[in-house]
Amino acid sequence: MQGKTGYFVGKLIELVVTLFLVSLLVFIAFAIIPGDTARVMLGPDATEAQVELLRQQMGLDKPLIVRYFTWLFGIITFNPGTSYAYNMSVGTLIAQRLPVTLGMSVFAMLMVIAISYPLAVLSARRPGRIGDQICSVIGHVLFAIPPYVASLLLILLASSLFRLITVGTYVKPSDDFLAYVVCLLLPSFAVALPKIAMSFKFLRSSIIEQRSSDYVRTSKSHGLSDLKILIRHVLPNSNVSSITIISIILSDILGGSLIVEQVFNLPGLGRLLLAAISRRDFPLLSGIVFYLAFITVLLYFLSDIAAAISDPRIRLK
Amino acid sequence: MRSKIIKPAIAALALGLAFTSFAGCTRKLGNVDNNAVVGITQEPGIFDPHTVVAAGDREIIFNVYEGLYKYDSKGSLNPCLATDVAISDDASVYTFTIREGVKFHDGSDFDAADVVYSLKRAAGLLDNQDGVALVGELDSIKDVKATAEGKVEVTLEAGNTELLSYFTTGIIPENYDNCQAAPVGTGPFKFDSYNPGQNVILVKNDNYWQKGLPYLDKVTFKVCADMDAGLTELASGSIDIFPYLTTDRANQLDKAKYNILSNGSNMVQIFALNNAVEPLNDLKVRQAINYAVSRKDIISVTMDGAGVELTTAMSPAMGSYYDTSLDGTYSQDIEKAKALLAEAGYENGFNITCTVPSSYLIHVNTAVELASELKAVGINMEIKQVDWATWLDTVYTGRQYETTVIALTSDYAPYDVLDRYQSTASGNFINYKNDKVDELMAKIPTISDTKQKTELYHQVLKLLTDDACSVYLQDPATITAVSTRLEGYSVYPMYVQDMSQVKPVTK
Amino acid sequence: MVSTKTKNRSPEASAFYTAGLILLGIVVTAFVISLFWTPYSPDATDATAKLLAPCAEHPFGTDNFGRDVLSRVMSASKYTIYISAAGVAIALILGTIAGIPAGYFGGYIDKGIMLLGNSIMCFPGILLALVAVAVFGASVTNVIWALGLVFAPTFARVCRVGTMEIKELDYITHARVMGVKPYRIMGFHIFPNLVPQLLPATVIGLANMTLFESGMSYLGLGVQPPDASFGKMLSDSQAYIRVAPWLVIFPALMLVFYILGLYFISEGLRVNLAKGGKR
Repeated sequence: MQGKTGYFVGKLIELVVTLFLVSLLVFIAFAIIPGDTARVMLGPDATEAQVELLRQQMGLDKPLIVRYFTWLFGIITFNPGTSYAYNMSVGTLIAQRLPVTLGMSVFAMLMVIAISYPLAVLSARRPGRIGDQICSVIGHVLFAIPPYVASLLLILLASSLFRLITVGTYVKPSDDFLAYVVCLLLPSFAVALPKIAMSFKFLRSSIIEQRSSDYVRTSKSHGLSDLKILIRHVLPNSNVSSITIISIILSDILGGSLIVEQVFNLPGLGRLLLAAISRRDFPLLSGIVFYLAFITVLLYFLSDIAAAISDPRIRLK
Repeated sequence: MRSKIIKPAIAALALGLAFTSFAGCTRKLGNVDNNAVVGITQEPGIFDPHTVVAAGDREIIFNVYEGLYKYDSKGSLNPCLATDVAISDDASVYTFTIREGVKFHDGSDFDAADVVYSLKRAAGLLDNQDGVALVGELDSIKDVKATAEGKVEVTLEAGNTELLSYFTTGIIPENYDNCQAAPVGTGPFKFDSYNPGQNVILVKNDNYWQKGLPYLDKVTFKVCADMDAGLTELASGSIDIFPYLTTDRANQLDKAKYNILSNGSNMVQIFALNNAVEPLNDLKVRQAINYAVSRKDIISVTMDGAGVELTTAMSPAMGSYYDTSLDGTYSQDIEKAKALLAEAGYENGFNITCTVPSSYLIHVNTAVELASELKAVGINMEIKQVDWATWLDTVYTGRQYETTVIALTSDYAPYDVLDRYQSTASGNFINYKNDKVDELMAKIPTISDTKQKTELYHQVLKLLTDDACSVYLQDPATITAVSTRLEGYSVYPMYVQDMSQVKPVTK
Repeated sequence: MVSTKTKNRSPEASAFYTAGLILLGIVVTAFVISLFWTPYSPDATDATAKLLAPCAEHPFGTDNFGRDVLSRVMSASKYTIYISAAGVAIALILGTIAGIPAGYFGGYIDKGIMLLGNSIMCFPGILLALVAVAVFGASVTNVIWALGLVFAPTFARVCRVGTMEIKELDYITHARVMGVKPYRIMGFHIFPNLVPQLLPATVIGLANMTLFESGMSYLGLGVQPPDASFGKMLSDSQAYIRVAPWLVIFPALMLVFYILGLYFISEGLRVNLAKGGKR
């Protein structure tokens, strides 16, 4: 038990250090890239005096290093600060956008699991058969289609042919939860498509690998049914890699839904991140990156632990 | 057995999803009744009428604040919160008569004290200000005071006949200082809310002084990720009005659902040459580049033909101030361009970089076409895209670049258009310097005779063209798609979305 | 690529190889020919020939600048192959160098390497690219370095987890007991055994790299115009999908061919390696 507690504490320290490193990277990036929030907000027609005035109002006249430590101190006291460009609390801004990104990630992940698991299991049951081959080819093709091409095709299909969904209509979950879900279905699907293919491929090959291993053959000779072997032995063992893959996919979805948000015009975190970069909004960008990093690190943390639990060979230290 | 249950279950689920999507999204269309949704591609940021500069912000708050004077859709100045103005002979004192019976959005009455406060605030004359004008052009105001008869007298440091257009700056209630968070003006619409990254919502001002206006109850300015995302929303009906389209995109829209309006924008798209770097500091080289370029092809490629060719720093949309005699000065002539390059000592051409802001598709596309055209005279132009913040920092304010493509915007006032060509102007990012131009620009504000003033403007334009200070390309048309269920929308020759005249079509 | 020469090719693997080589062959052929010849100059604009549908003179049509799409697709294959291959190579090298020792030694080395890797992974790739471009200027090479850095942690993770599994195998333990130097174990015993896991990761990396590159083109950070990659051609032609579908179809097809071809080949390799391992 001592070992396990130590393991968790160690992981926790890792989490904190990672987050600190990430924030440091953001700071270094900001120190390097040119550009100025006040100038971006006022545009080219503003005079230098006007820009300077706004800079003072926003507290931008202080050096970046001072602003970084102010921000860092804020984070420690759970106060992510105020965005320059929006003059709003960073926490509020992120919270506003979260339903979109989180909803999309969760829906996309559900789609990935709901589609790729059964398909992989079916495919792997009789590898090489026509059904397996069709699934594999479709999987490969889906994987090769860029998300924004998929988004565009889906929009064309859904809005032009079926008139099902009004693209660009976003409904807050607090207003109408059902409408919120419906509005996110199509973009989630666009995000999920290549990931479905990815997860299918990994699962299928790892199931096939496991099936050909000795212990499965032994249980087969003992007369256990295919399904039982699958559930009891094959899936848990292939879980090590599938957990890793799923956490990679999920962090991909979180960070990579930007283009889909752009095409579907959804107010998600990805677009907020882009706005923060393009407006050189240091507190906002740090806040978002910090937040995304937190989630990602947490996912890896959980996947490490899950892997450790389901595979005793990876020892807890 | 199993599949018999599963299949109907899946079918039922799919059907259920299909129905909920009907129910879910059609209900939320929002563009019914007396509302309108306008698509914008720039995130709004500043709502204070005195610190606002960015075009994307100004076009929204035009509906919220009003100045003493106000532009109409033709670009002419009309009295608004003032009923008229008397300008002294030396143009150093402007006396405005104040309109009566106007109320602010917060219910308070509008009077001369509000005007004095607002103009002082804009000019940086309030006690808590350190003298820096919020509206740069009003810096020359020395004093503002209310006279006994309820008029407002503005005294300038020196005579300036070109200042009236800047009195369009918004008037706010006396001692009010929270315009950024809670804008209060006298305009046809009241500011309701701003949701970052999503929208700005304006609602009808029921007490608007122009009786009968506005028609709409609610106007939403919706932020779209980019032009193409806006186009998708237009096509699916969640936006009613979308300005700044390109022709080939507008042509993809359903003609029964959208009217396409096209109008000169009073923008000057310029292939800016940094006059301070080699080899662009050589007049012959700049002229050669001017001759190498086909403005017609650029307009065809970038705007599908919807633009006006320019050879000088002003758009023909400026009326009589524009000098028609300059038309066609630099029509494409490859041989002449080559000869000029040879004279300048560059018979084998040279390499040059064009730094363009990646967020403006029209400028990137222009640069691509320019690079292809310049190759014909031996100039090898490499395109370097940078993001907008970097462009502003390194190209515009830092002037660290060789060439760039950008559109210059201005008020509908000739002085505002040409201001930047003075050698000391902060907007003179092309590093242009001509003493004669400086002299003329200093003289113009002291002249009150319109004919004489027009003549001086023509002289400035001629100098700019002769010096080939840059390559003036086009005045790209503002192309706006307006839903056929709305009428009364007009395209202004500047960045303005006037929603006060827009109303649903009555059947 | 070594294992293609082994004798015991299964029919399944051959089918994958054939399909993969044909698809990849199309792209590579286009690339090789484009080095010497394209029907038109890929950058030459022609305002009189905008958005022409495919015809005898322009088999793939023309784009909104009047440029020949066939020529552009051919020259785009160059940048797509170059960027993805060079980016993956960098990511693979960095990832392997970091990942195998992390898995092999464990402890603080592992912790340190993974911390750095996780931090990079959590950092938005777009911001990283922006920094690279700001410091070193917008060029294809800088984009490749940025991409390589962004993708390296993925490979490191794969290597690390794989190494952790492999190092527990008997023959590695034996080697260690016999006093074989760690770098020899890692280089000659562990790395070859990681290849089956690295291959699919490499292909996914190539595909992701191509997609990421086109995402960066959105922000003007990738290939600079008038040059093009498949991804950039696709993002540029987004608006014309209704009126000029050929602008989308041909680069999309080439992109799919490219990724699919690589995919099939790696699949064939995997099948062969699995068979070889069992022998």
